[in-house]
Amino acid sequence: MPKRSVLPGIVNIAVFILLEIACLYLLSHNSEAQRTWIADAGNAVKGTVWGSTEKVRDYFSLKSANDSLAKDNHLLMEEVIRLREMVRRSGADTVKLASLPGYTVIPAEVVKMSRAKQHNYIILNRGFEDGIREKSGIITRDGAVGIIDAVSAHFSYALSFQNADISISARLGTEGGNGLLVWDGKSSNGAVLKEIPLQYKYNPGDTVYTSGHSLVFPPDIPLGTAGKAKIINGSTNEIEVTLFQEFKAIRYVTVVHNDSFDEVEGFEK
Amino acid sequence: MKNNRFWAAYALLFIAQLLLCNYFTFTPWIMVTLLPAMVLCLPLEIGTTGAMLIAAATGLGVDLLSEGILGINALALIPVAFARKKIISIVFGADLLARNKSFSIRRNGLTAVLMALIIGLSIFLVIYIWADSAGARSFGFNAGRFGASLAVSLIFSVLTVRALTTQE
Repeated sequence: MPKRSVLPGIVNIAVFILLEIACLYLLSHNSEAQRTWIADAGNAVKGTVWGSTEKVRDYFSLKSANDSLAKDNHLLMEEVIRLREMVRRSGADTVKLASLPGYTVIPAEVVKMSRAKQHNYIILNRGFEDGIREKSGIITRDGAVGIIDAVSAHFSYALSFQNADISISARLGTEGGNGLLVWDGKSSNGAVLKEIPLQYKYNPGDTVYTSGHSLVFPPDIPLGTAGKAKIINGSTNEIEVTLFQEFKAIRYVTVVHNDSFDEVEGFEK
Repeated sequence: MKNNRFWAAYALLFIAQLLLCNYFTFTPWIMVTLLPAMVLCLPLEIGTTGAMLIAAATGLGVDLLSEGILGINALALIPVAFARKKIISIVFGADLLARNKSFSIRRNGLTAVLMALIIGLSIFLVIYIWADSAGARSFGFNAGRFGASLAVSLIFSVLTVRALTTQE
């Protein structure tokens, strides 16, 4: 069977389009109503095309938008920490004031993160050349997510909060008892606050904060809300906590390092 | 000889169309057109590009010599010429195209010819009425105008086909 050439079809279509455009041109130059109508139709087409390209452009610029938001977030986080410190210092006496540590804050991006194990980890795209040091805390605006365990020049390895080896010193409510917050080992936002003395009363829904006693995390970072409790050995409460942080959604984080860490650690040794 | 007869009839129908455009304007609901039938009856030796150029010249001629807007008849008629061979192929079969034989009411039957005319007229009227209303008329009016114009134009188009096609 002989092959049919597609060229005549293309020529026909091209001639058809050219003739129709010529007719529309004539039409628009010979009647005001048609001119307005064609201009409106043209604008509608342009609006649709430009609107679509704008959406496509927006989609491809999401990465830079995210980076920009992460930088803003980091600046805000820094500001929050600084203001918290100012608030704390303003209510404290001068002796305490001198001993309060400051924090170095470094923004980072999660390169890799495990979530399906009992000993999960996080790898960040910042290393010691960026100022990251071991035993620094990793936080987001929704809570504490891990602790730096090892650092290379450009990357750092951290133990995720979703790791059986990690516990965070936490406080129940603004003035409640201190305990250890550990991952419940099951859910992505579930934790357990242990060793809360029985004399501290609380209500389900109370916020759990970092206590600031561990040197790793700054105090007063909201971590989650308290749920049901059970008494352990007749002496302490163990309270279920729903974390604010959804670990599946972590991408940008802030690394905080206590500037007095080495000095205080030196005393302990 | 046959071609001369065709083009003479074509010229007379062109003049008839001018008269219809200039004098047969009793109501805004009806516009009578012979042009789609004239284009459908163009000899099949003429290719699609040639048919589109003839349609453009015919439409512009009517526009220039009648009270319409320059370009509107051509705008609506060129798509009929573009689809002409497809319409003929669908309604009368590809065989007619392969043999380059023109259709007629006697050879192909009134029903088939009416079908081809309805398709051609619909393409023309939809574009013509849509462009003529320029978004200023309601859909109801345009639909009514389309239906009335199709019915009246169809009668005139059958006569056009009879005038342009051989009846041997």
